[in-house]
Amino acid sequence: MKDSAIVICRCEEVTLEELTNTAKEYKCSARELKLRTRAGMGYCGGRTCRFAIDAILMEATGNQTPDQIPLKYQPPVRPVSFQTLGGGCHE
Amino acid sequence: MYDAVIIGAGPAGLSAAIACAKWNLQVVVIDEFMKPGGRLLGQLHQEPDGTWWNGIKEANILVEQARALGVDIWCGVSVHHIEEVGQGWRVHTNKERIDTPKLLLATGAAETPAPVPGWTLPGVMSIGAAQVMTNVHRVRPGKKGIVIGINVLSAAITRELQLAGGDVVGMVLPPVNPITKDAGNPRKVMQSLLRISHLAPSAFLRMGGKLSRANWMQKLALTFYPKSGVKMWGIPIHLRKAAVQINGEKEVESVTICSVTPDGKRIEGSEQTMDVDFVCIAGGLYPLAELAAVAGCPFHYFPELGGHVPVHNERMKTPLEGLYVAGNITGIESAKVARAQGFVAGLSIAKETIQSADSAIDKHLENALDEVRKIRSNAAIQFHQDIHAGRNKMESIYKEQFS
Ligand SMILES: Cc1cc2nc3c(=O)[nH]c(=O)nc-3n(C[C@H](O)[C@H](O)[C@H](O)COP(=O)(O)OP(=O)(O)OC[C@H]3O[C@@H](n4cnc5c(N)ncnc54)[C@H](O)[C@@H]3O)c2cc1C
Repeated sequence: MKDSAIVICRCEEVTLEELTNTAKEYKCSARELKLRTRAGMGYCGGRTCRFAIDAILMEATGNQTPDQIPLKYQPPVRPVSFQTLGGGCHE
Repeated sequence: MYDAVIIGAGPAGLSAAIACAKWNLQVVVIDEFMKPGGRLLGQLHQEPDGTWWNGIKEANILVEQARALGVDIWCGVSVHHIEEVGQGWRVHTNKERIDTPKLLLATGAAETPAPVPGWTLPGVMSIGAAQVMTNVHRVRPGKKGIVIGINVLSAAITRELQLAGGDVVGMVLPPVNPITKDAGNPRKVMQSLLRISHLAPSAFLRMGGKLSRANWMQKLALTFYPKSGVKMWGIPIHLRKAAVQINGEKEVESVTICSVTPDGKRIEGSEQTMDVDFVCIAGGLYPLAELAAVAGCPFHYFPELGGHVPVHNERMKTPLEGLYVAGNITGIESAKVARAQGFVAGLSIAKETIQSADSAIDKHLENALDEVRKIRSNAAIQFHQDIHAGRNKMESIYKEQFS
């Protein structure tokens, strides 16, 4: 197996190669990279791959890590049911 | 209503709760794990003076003290969102919603990934997961394993696996890729190990201390690094070998490793396969600050502190009214520092809640701040060099931009 075939985002099965190529081609932001590849958009909400996605992006674009967090955190930061979120009919 | 809500029942959150309760504040500590104690629950290591640090014992002491003071501790409850409302904060959990004037985030640290081909196979886990399995759940992660990633944390946990009767065939470097970078470079890894050598309770690292005096000696040591590794507690540490691939049909069966040059370049034809049934990957730690980010707290990037850290001052206040941080969320340090920081945060919260003219609390706060500095200077485990520099930079950023 080639290194480029390493799966970075497990939930959405996005590889290192796909992320590197997309980052290079579009010179994009972390958010755009996420939207183009779906990396970090799976069930776990990027809890495993977020750091890797940032690192790949910095490497591909040659940018320095910025002071603000590259990939914005959105609530809920843990998987929760619709019922808990208040959309259910139990209330 | 609680005077303060604390998220995270690790050493920072628990000691903050104790400090608050000592000043008669009503507080609740919320943690998503089933037991209080945070990362303390997995820790067992020998200090340079020969004494043992038993994290479970330390956790019990804090929990008992907190409960005796009337602190509520909720376990198995996850916080998924926090927001500023009126004069305070609304905390959304998977159970209920609570409002509070003061909120402390003591959510600790998370592990950084170190991707290796084949790392999605069952039997591959992070080194922290192996620690929790072994020391918290008392389940052996496997019969025979290998550790990928050589750093302070993985050395400490590998030793724990060994003490629990696990068979670890060795520690190797991760392959170099855009994520692992310097963690796959023998020279860089050696330098970071040498920095902690004077603190290490191991003959290998103490020997390393001598090497750190001269650059040429380090080069020599790496050039002639023994093929069978240098043993620490009988476990071979391979600074000149890296994992290439984790193999297996349905689960881990073996790992292919190869020799690397002192700069981390693969030496073709040196591949060798080792039979193992579990693999621990150790990429390091970063501050787990997701809730601070959701709250809109400003951040700063500090490699010395392990990554992006919410802006805060020495008294653990963030620029957002009523929001505090303590422990590893403010930078990766040992449990003792986290505990001391938690105490500062608790006193800070108490001071602003009771707003009394009594100067007694100020004195306690000053003492608690001194304690943090003292413990930091004497820390046996240091995850990053230049931690002091990082802390000072944060303090001046807060002063210049936010006070
Ligand atoms: C795998 C690992 C191993 C470590 N090993 C050592 C070691 O051997 N020695 C050492 O000195 N240090 C070690 N550390 C560093 C460790 O972080 C500190 O020692 C110390 O435990 C930090 O204390 P804390 O209170 O800041 O956070 P923690 O002890 O990590 O506690 C944070 C708590 O917050 C809870 N939490 C987080 N987010 C939420 C949420 N959204 N909702 C509800 N609860 C939440 C977590 O469940 C956790 O219990 C280790 C860290 C990790 C991650």
